Amino acid sequence: MKNPVYTAIAIGVGIVVLLGYFLQIDLLANLRIVLLEWATILVAVALLVGIVNLFVVHFRKSAADQQNRINSIVLIVSMTITLLVAGWFGPTHTYSLWIFNYIQIPIEASLMAILTVMLIYAGIRLLRRKPNLLTIVFIATAVIILLMSGALFGIDIPGLSELRIWIGKVPAVAGARGILLGVSLGIVAAGLRILIGADRPYGGS
Amino acid sequence: MSFGDWIGAFLGFVLTLLVFSYLIGDNPLFRITLHIFIGVSAGFAAVVAIYNVILPQLLEPIFISNRNEQILAIFPLILAGLLITKISHRFAFIGNLPMSYLVGVSAAVAIGGAVTGTLIPQLLASMNLLDVQASQVFDANVGLRLLNGVIILIGTLASLAYFQFGTLSGSSQRNQFQSWIEGIGKIGQIFIAIMFGFLFAGIFSAALTALIGRVITSLDFLRGILGLFLQ
Repeated sequence: MKNPVYTAIAIGVGIVVLLGYFLQIDLLANLRIVLLEWATILVAVALLVGIVNLFVVHFRKSAADQQNRINSIVLIVSMTITLLVAGWFGPTHTYSLWIFNYIQIPIEASLMAILTVMLIYAGIRLLRRKPNLLTIVFIATAVIILLMSGALFGIDIPGLSELRIWIGKVPAVAGARGILLGVSLGIVAAGLRILIGADRPYGGS
Repeated sequence: MSFGDWIGAFLGFVLTLLVFSYLIGDNPLFRITLHIFIGVSAGFAAVVAIYNVILPQLLEPIFISNRNEQILAIFPLILAGLLITKISHRFAFIGNLPMSYLVGVSAAVAIGGAVTGTLIPQLLASMNLLDVQASQVFDANVGLRLLNGVIILIGTLASLAYFQFGTLSGSSQRNQFQSWIEGIGKIGQIFIAIMFGFLFAGIFSAALTALIGRVITSLDFLRGILGLFLQ
């Protein structure tokens, strides 16, 4: 059985914050702001707990005689150097920005760049494995949007750029709106289940 | 360029090559680069969380502010202290109290955000589709506007019908209803496929831009090195 105190806290705090959204009462609005500020602090602390856990897990892996221990050692060293430099000098200091500009951004941008090849590969694989109507619609839309983004080989085919705009403004909007509404209804349902205590994803025994 | 910038540019060039090495297959050098990335990102995330949230919102009110703010800061300090126990397996259960607080607030924020940020604006936009004065769907032509509005409305409802995952059981009437919804959902799948195709093209364009950017940066670095040697 879950601890009723935890459930009471989750329901009580959640209802106060939710009412603060919809009722124009100063006391509730101020209380909502304070509760959200505390939650922001807790999210930051939870992030630190997660990072400490990452460090501990890889420290154990590097200490154990495992096949891929070099990866864990590299992770620990890079994390420690970043923590020392950015922690000591501050995240906006020149030394911290050096790490950011010359290590983080090149890797991030390169990972994004290899996505180009991965997407082409995934598209071709999808066509070969599941050549049905939906796949053809999906690929055809992507190809039309990509080809009509600019003049193809210097030739501007009349009507095709209008087709691209129409796809973006009518059927794509319809699909996106349906998904957004569906996802929102799902979020509301999941949130309400927590606020009535039907779901209690905060542990306890 | 300073010496530090040259070293940085060289490092960036090498890291780019190591990431691109994935194109010939998964390899240890690529995995090492990924672990560098994870380590640096985690380190930065921790420092940003400390400098932007924990120091100004938790520690400064306790040590610098007036009595009222100090008292107000004690509650999150206690909750944060309890949350830290999650690091230990033995005492992790103590951290369930701040977790329940976080879950409650998150659920309320999610509901509030979904209703005020998505549901109401999207429903209002859907309602205005057939309002010729308000809608600016595609064409100045009123007939075309209405036609596009009807297509969007049908597409939205059909896509929404595709999300009908509830279990309906019992009478044959209900089963007929379910088969109707499934049929409409199939039309919705086409609209969803078009939307994903549109998104795919957008992501592909962004990835292509990043690829061109990395290639140009690497070529600039090589040109700079060659220029240094040829001088």
